[in-house]
Amino acid sequence: MNTSIQHTIDKASKIIGDTWPLYTFVASNPLSGYENAPFKEAVLKAKEQLTASVFPDAKLYRQAWNKGEIDKEIISELLKYEGFTDAPEMYLEHLEAQQPTAIVNENNKLDRVMSKWLAAFMDEGLAEWSMPFKTEGFYNSWRHLVIYDDECDFTSLKEIPKSPKDVFDNILKDFKEEEYIALFTYHLAALPGWTGYINHRQKTNSDWQQHYPITIEEYLAARLWTAKHLDIPLLKKVEQDTSQKEIAKLQYIWLKAWEASWQKDLVHTVAKQTTKATDEKSNKPDAQFVFCIDTRSELIRRHVESKGDYETYGYAGFFGITMDYESLEDGITRKACPPIVASGYTVSEKAQTGKDQSLAKYKSINSIDKFKVYFLKRMKNMLPSAFGYVEGSGLYYGVSMIIRTLFPGKAYTLKSSKQIKTESFCEPSITKIDSQDTDGIPLAERVGIVKSSFNLMGWKQFAKLVLFVGHGSHTANNPFGSSLDCGACAATPGRNNARMLAKLANQPDVREELSSAYGIQIPEDTVFIGAEHNTTTDHIELFDAEVPESHLEAVAVVKRNLSLAQETATQDRLGNSQKSIAKAHQKANNWAETRPEWGLAKNAGFIVGQRDLTKNTNLGSRCFLHSYNWELDKEGKALEGIMQGPMVVTQWINNHYYFSTVDNETFGGGSKITHNITGKFGVVQGNGGDLKMGLPLQSLYDADDLMYHQPLRLSVMIEAPVRRVSEILTRNENLRMLLDNEWIYLMVVDPTQQNVILRYQKSIQWETVWKKNKNVRKENKTAGQQKLAEEISM
Amino acid sequence: MAFDNTIKLNTVAPTTPKKPAMQTLANIVLWSLFGINLSLLIIGFNQPIDWNFDPFISITNFTILIWTTVTFFSAIVSSYATNYLTGFTYHSAFMIRCLGFTFSVMLLVMANHILLVILSWLLMGVFMSQLIGVNKKWGEAREASKFTLRYFLTGTGFLSVGLLIPAFYTGVFTITKLTALISEIPLFITLISAMCIIGAAVVQSAMYPFHRWLLSAMTAPTPASALMHAGFVNGAGILLALFATFLFASNTLHILFIIGGLTAIIAQFTKLLQVNVKQKLACSTIAQMGFMIMQCGLGFFNAAVVHLILHGFYKAYLFLSSGEEVGQTKPQQPIHLRIQPLQAFAVLLFGVLGAVLFALWTGKGTKLDSGIFLTLIVAITVGQATYNIVKEKSLSVVQKSILMPVLFMAGIGIYALMYLGVTQLMADLPMIAQPLPLSWVQLVFGIVFLLGFFLMKLGIYQKFPWLYVKLLNISQPYKRSVLMYKSK
Repeated sequence: MNTSIQHTIDKASKIIGDTWPLYTFVASNPLSGYENAPFKEAVLKAKEQLTASVFPDAKLYRQAWNKGEIDKEIISELLKYEGFTDAPEMYLEHLEAQQPTAIVNENNKLDRVMSKWLAAFMDEGLAEWSMPFKTEGFYNSWRHLVIYDDECDFTSLKEIPKSPKDVFDNILKDFKEEEYIALFTYHLAALPGWTGYINHRQKTNSDWQQHYPITIEEYLAARLWTAKHLDIPLLKKVEQDTSQKEIAKLQYIWLKAWEASWQKDLVHTVAKQTTKATDEKSNKPDAQFVFCIDTRSELIRRHVESKGDYETYGYAGFFGITMDYESLEDGITRKACPPIVASGYTVSEKAQTGKDQSLAKYKSINSIDKFKVYFLKRMKNMLPSAFGYVEGSGLYYGVSMIIRTLFPGKAYTLKSSKQIKTESFCEPSITKIDSQDTDGIPLAERVGIVKSSFNLMGWKQFAKLVLFVGHGSHTANNPFGSSLDCGACAATPGRNNARMLAKLANQPDVREELSSAYGIQIPEDTVFIGAEHNTTTDHIELFDAEVPESHLEAVAVVKRNLSLAQETATQDRLGNSQKSIAKAHQKANNWAETRPEWGLAKNAGFIVGQRDLTKNTNLGSRCFLHSYNWELDKEGKALEGIMQGPMVVTQWINNHYYFSTVDNETFGGGSKITHNITGKFGVVQGNGGDLKMGLPLQSLYDADDLMYHQPLRLSVMIEAPVRRVSEILTRNENLRMLLDNEWIYLMVVDPTQQNVILRYQKSIQWETVWKKNKNVRKENKTAGQQKLAEEISM
Repeated sequence: MAFDNTIKLNTVAPTTPKKPAMQTLANIVLWSLFGINLSLLIIGFNQPIDWNFDPFISITNFTILIWTTVTFFSAIVSSYATNYLTGFTYHSAFMIRCLGFTFSVMLLVMANHILLVILSWLLMGVFMSQLIGVNKKWGEAREASKFTLRYFLTGTGFLSVGLLIPAFYTGVFTITKLTALISEIPLFITLISAMCIIGAAVVQSAMYPFHRWLLSAMTAPTPASALMHAGFVNGAGILLALFATFLFASNTLHILFIIGGLTAIIAQFTKLLQVNVKQKLACSTIAQMGFMIMQCGLGFFNAAVVHLILHGFYKAYLFLSSGEEVGQTKPQQPIHLRIQPLQAFAVLLFGVLGAVLFALWTGKGTKLDSGIFLTLIVAITVGQATYNIVKEKSLSVVQKSILMPVLFMAGIGIYALMYLGVTQLMADLPMIAQPLPLSWVQLVFGIVFLLGFFLMKLGIYQKFPWLYVKLLNISQPYKRSVLMYKSK
């Protein structure tokens, strides 16, 4: 095809980001294609093209206002500066008076027919009878079938061009070249969820894509040709609605004020902490725990720390191992590191020494389980066994229904106790990706992995027990289950990365090399253990099958304290003073539970620094925490890594939560209660339609109209010399772009300048927001206002 | 635990929305009703219940049986909804409609006066369509609600004509009296009446070509779908059992048999190509209802009632767990199993044994009548199960030879128990287990059924792309209930 047309199509496909499959649901920015434009400009463009809301609804501002989350002084100042001189409440009422109206979708038929074919083609095994001619790609398959489709009215193959290229040749001759982009965008924006899933399939080239290819061009060609055939106008001018401009401006002011208010609290908290005398401890702690940077770790870390002489760290939950993991259960290899990083290794399971028999037994039980699934499917699908099967098994379904509805908590305890724990007889084994070599990987690479983790976290001394704690969630009947797993592990549980790192760090040759080549001395009696934090129940499971006997007692103590931590953590989280663990078990296993846990909801901040910066502070699970020691990172390499990796991932997550909240129907998933799973990978609402691309209502809202997650852009706070941060930003244009375009905010606590707190302004300028013994706010009020105001009126 | 900093960063704990009072009330009422009915059912086994409140109400063992069933489903749905609908704006409205629906079904099975029958039938439809459109803010749901209501009103129209004609002709207005007089009503009256009753039944149970409403009803929250598939569509089976005498008198059973049988086959094929889980379940329901109607057409109204209860358990469970269908898979070519002679022998042996067991325990198929048909289906089912199990490599021979008899005896045994129990409870109803003499219609259809089985078994259907598209299109939801609106 003409490369310029191809190029235009690629550009148009950026109208929407990727729709991730629900089995590995990565929270990503639906507007990632707009990141090179300023936030406000970008979202207003998206609003027009997708007929979506891009700022929080007035009811959310109202709720935040009533709770005092928006500082009256800040909002008043900002409004005034923009010439809105009345009281803030007035403008809030004005915003509340704006009511969205439902309009008839004039392309109803076209959209409906296209979503029918897309759903049929992209199915990943829900249907036993898959779409004919699928292997020939979407366009060909569609072309050969649509002639039988009464709705589209084609009568013979001759009426449909042989290839997408012919379609474009035919259709584009009626358009000017500069209209192409508008034409393509208009059609790709009609079903953004499906467009996003094609984007995702093309980018990842998944198994399904390799067998049954589909491209944006193919979809666009089929759609345009159908539209033409049905006499639907190919391009409609999007009308500019100028009356909305002032509303958008007001909405943006409120958003900024809300964010600024939150930042004020954050600054206050950190400032208070830095002025406190830090209790220098030279004693070794009894144990050290490394948790994921995930916001849920903040809560459990507080509770673990309070149960003993324990030290906790925050580190990206893939533990620095860029790996794919081959599951023992289904044999599928899944990515287990951030989607922005290429995988270098494959980790699979092998039997621990002397435990081959346990593994063999597990495998045979597993294959029987698989057969059970296959058998039931066969019986249900076939004629006439479907009828006989229902009669023979109906009563058993009735009994299970009673158990699952009335006793989910008890069933969970029973299920957990019966589950075979493969970690007790297996160990992870690492190889280079795509390599047949099963001998593992060279010493230098193993050392590199272990070393960089201690470097990034700024580790000083090693306790007797060091636990790497990944995290995963346990929920029942939840299509969005993977959205609650570890985001840094590409929406899979992080346990295997944790076990792998523990294993590497325990290897004698690795320790020796660390000591001789890098001066990292790990005491001989230090043992590393992999673990997993179950975020739904706050249970922490230790994978301690290979811990030497000398340490078993210490491990037992840790386990006891972790049980106590589970109790207080669940009380804190569920607001339930008694039986909080039983309640958590119920939530984990109740098939009727639409809010088993809150995932990363409420995330608003990312704090990079030492634990002392926030220790003994209740951050309400609103912050990602990454450990970092500026003193040990002279060249800033570690910090640069953190800003390039974890900071970008947290921005994805934060933007995903933001957009899913401000327009739950378009960018989110809508309400779970009417979800209809399609193709084993996604959901549609009710009878069908566009594929849903984001988090469901129940992950973000307490009730249909009651906000839980506050849609605020991420505020990053780094504890490091500000010069170092400036240097990093100078080197990394992509990071600067995110900041200059206000997709995230950045603040720095500079320990070399008496912990002054600075806020990033455009083009690596810094504004002081807090200084010891000074009221900075008053001082640079006007300057600050000016800057905020400039951004708003942009 | 005290932290020295609990400022606004840690915003006030969320005010978790309270359960509506309606929900608590519904849970109490429904579980109590279920408990009471279950007790009555147990009593009724020994001492048949027969409470008459002439001319409107007549409560028998059968009434209690259906009451127990429907309150069970409603209670489960209600408990499920307690968590599932937390925070839903129309949570209370949802529960009120569920209760309204439940009471309508209860009214239907205790009604003796035909006006009450018609009224309760109408109310069932109205409440169900309101559950489909319970989210008033959602345009597509409103469209689906209106669309389904049109079907239900049509069904009620059929039923009214079907019952009022014989009533006005004879001047009696209760089911019991009409049934007693049936032999005196001329054929053309019973024929029109029976055809209309069949019409009401096939609309309700979404038989082809009245199936589209069921495929357009996914705008209902999941628990309402469970109730719909476990307690609404199968109302047809209850209706036909209540008016079995009309069908016998007008000799219209074959019509049921053909409609049910054809729908069962078409829907089972249509199910194979569904990519949305709820549509897939809906197609399965249509097929199962087809089978139930077919059982009625064979004269086994008791078997149809057993089927509607067991299918209710099965389908409610699948709806309530329909969020479990997400999973990563790999594209797979269908496995072609080849069968060895010895395995073929096992298939045959177990098939025959299954049929014998079934015939012995249920009494169906021991004589040369329409019961043979049902026994045949059991034989093939057992054969299919055996076929899959003997081919499985992960099971040892010993495991297989234990698993199969246990599985089959458990399945057939539990079914037989249900069947005998229900038959006893329905003993007062006239003509509910009247096997028909074998007829050419049944034989021809038996062959069609086997043909369908082989087409499916051998995968021949996959060679017809046009068939794929036709089946895809007949299973599309109502067009105005998809992507009809957008918000601005």
